[in-house]
Amino acid sequence: MTTYQLSVNGRGHSVDADPDTPLLYVLRNDLQLNGAKFGCGLGQCGACTVLVGGEAVLSCLMPVAAVGARKVRTVEGLGTADAPGRLQQAFIAEQAAQCGYCIAGMIMRAEALLARKPSPTDAEIRRHMAPNLCRCGTHMRILRAVKRAAGSPEGKA
Amino acid sequence: MEQHPRSKRPRRRPVFTFILLLAFVLAAGAFALMWRPALAPQQRAPSFDAATVQKGARLAALGTCAACHTADPARPYAGGLALATPFGTVYSTNITPDAQSGIGQWSEEAFTRALRAGVSRDGHLLYPAFPYDHYTRLRHDDIHALYAWFMTRTPLDAPARPNDMRFPFGFRPLVAFWNLLYLDQATWQPDPQQSPAWNRGAYIADALSHCGACHTPRTRLGGTDQRRYLDGGEAEGWYVPALNAHSPSPLPWTREHLASYLRTGIAPGHAVAGGPMQGVVENLRLADDQDIDALATWLHGYLQKAPAQARPAPAALRSGGLASPDAGDPDAARMRLGREVYATNCARCHEAGRTPGSGGALPLQQAIALYDPDPRSLIHIVRGGIEPPDGEPGRWMPGFGAILDDAQTAALAAYLRRYGAQQAPWPEIEDSVRKAKQP
Repeated sequence: MTTYQLSVNGRGHSVDADPDTPLLYVLRNDLQLNGAKFGCGLGQCGACTVLVGGEAVLSCLMPVAAVGARKVRTVEGLGTADAPGRLQQAFIAEQAAQCGYCIAGMIMRAEALLARKPSPTDAEIRRHMAPNLCRCGTHMRILRAVKRAAGSPEGKA
Repeated sequence: MEQHPRSKRPRRRPVFTFILLLAFVLAAGAFALMWRPALAPQQRAPSFDAATVQKGARLAALGTCAACHTADPARPYAGGLALATPFGTVYSTNITPDAQSGIGQWSEEAFTRALRAGVSRDGHLLYPAFPYDHYTRLRHDDIHALYAWFMTRTPLDAPARPNDMRFPFGFRPLVAFWNLLYLDQATWQPDPQQSPAWNRGAYIADALSHCGACHTPRTRLGGTDQRRYLDGGEAEGWYVPALNAHSPSPLPWTREHLASYLRTGIAPGHAVAGGPMQGVVENLRLADDQDIDALATWLHGYLQKAPAQARPAPAALRSGGLASPDAGDPDAARMRLGREVYATNCARCHEAGRTPGSGGALPLQQAIALYDPDPRSLIHIVRGGIEPPDGEPGRWMPGFGAILDDAQTAALAAYLRRYGAQQAPWPEIEDSVRKAKQP
């Protein structure tokens, strides 16, 4: 066990964990941030996507020891049910969730793109979102939601 | 006193005249070498029958034209892709039939001259990033079909982005000297000793798909080194494997593997296309199956000479996990770190038998990148993963660039090289890791 200092959604946390514990387990089990989901555990589905240092990473693959000083952001950091962020609002407006299991990962991967490129083309959105899978088949709505968020000013949808 | 300079002048004059004459002859020669006339713009686009256009589509797929001329899939053939070369960055141009920014005003004669001699319609010399040193051997009917295909595409307005060449390569007429060295406009000749399929494959590989442009090493002047044909080259910072007797593949390439690899990017149980080859495969999937089979037949002729073809694959290649580092390993500390990275990140998909549901990732002792002469491709794959082309099913490997630090990446490469491939260590792995991180 080692003690790690993590900055998650702007708050500091002190966590005791084995170095190879996946970041996902720390987020869900130690910090009770249950937005990011465990899907395949093999980096094949994207349900566990969070931002680390502004980059979309698969938190099931990332050992907590690898985070270092980089800031972690999860879907809980984008807004609340009462005050959803622009991507969350766009996903609601497009009714992009069916079962919803993949959505937190989808939103975080989209957030990484919009932070780097505020007005991506359709092709850029498709390519960027490719790693994340939705087994309900709402991919077309998800793409529309990302497009909608991209067209809206920061903070609103 | 005044006579002194005057008396010298008559003695100097013949030398002076000779130098002047020589300079004039050289200048005239250089001008003749570098200058090409503009060809008259074409006012109205010609029409073509559907069969010719379709033939052109399949040839354009084999020529992998879109790999460079399509930067945004929503704007096919509009150009704008940056190609980094040792001489500067060249941007691909718009080859849609737009009258102003594309090739809408190009007659078939101008189009043919560009493919055969590397000259633009307006007479300027094209940079050999455009592989006219290969297209020059295209048959006339094939050029006609390609012309039909491109002239019937949707015209898109996309002016050429200015190239960013290093001095003095911004001066295009210099390409004339490159052409003297590397442009051989002789027509392609079939080899009567070989089968028709082999010859079809050889023609496609040389004149259309320009395999040698990446798979053959280049000279310092940027030409392909024909004495080392298919000996392995580089593209976009990746090592491009040799396709001849020097092939790094630990398993023998069969004709079936090659056909499947070229058609889908996956040779089951053998190899998955990564890096620049993905763009090639994305093009080839639109080609005729018969032509892909011909390419495979031709390629197999070269790869048959690789050492892996002669001996049965050792049992260790077939299955089983990778060994732990020996206690006496001269690089023990780094190997232990590499082993740890492998065990926590790679093994759950790549170690056969551990997770049967993982979609059958390749056991790493079979991965060709471990047997390359340098670690560049392996490091790119570890950092960036493998993505199937848009809309295609395929093997997906997540990238570990944000997860592993430099020391871990280097240690993993060293460990896989030693305990996966059991090959002599790569020198300067850290240097390759640093370079792979540069955009």
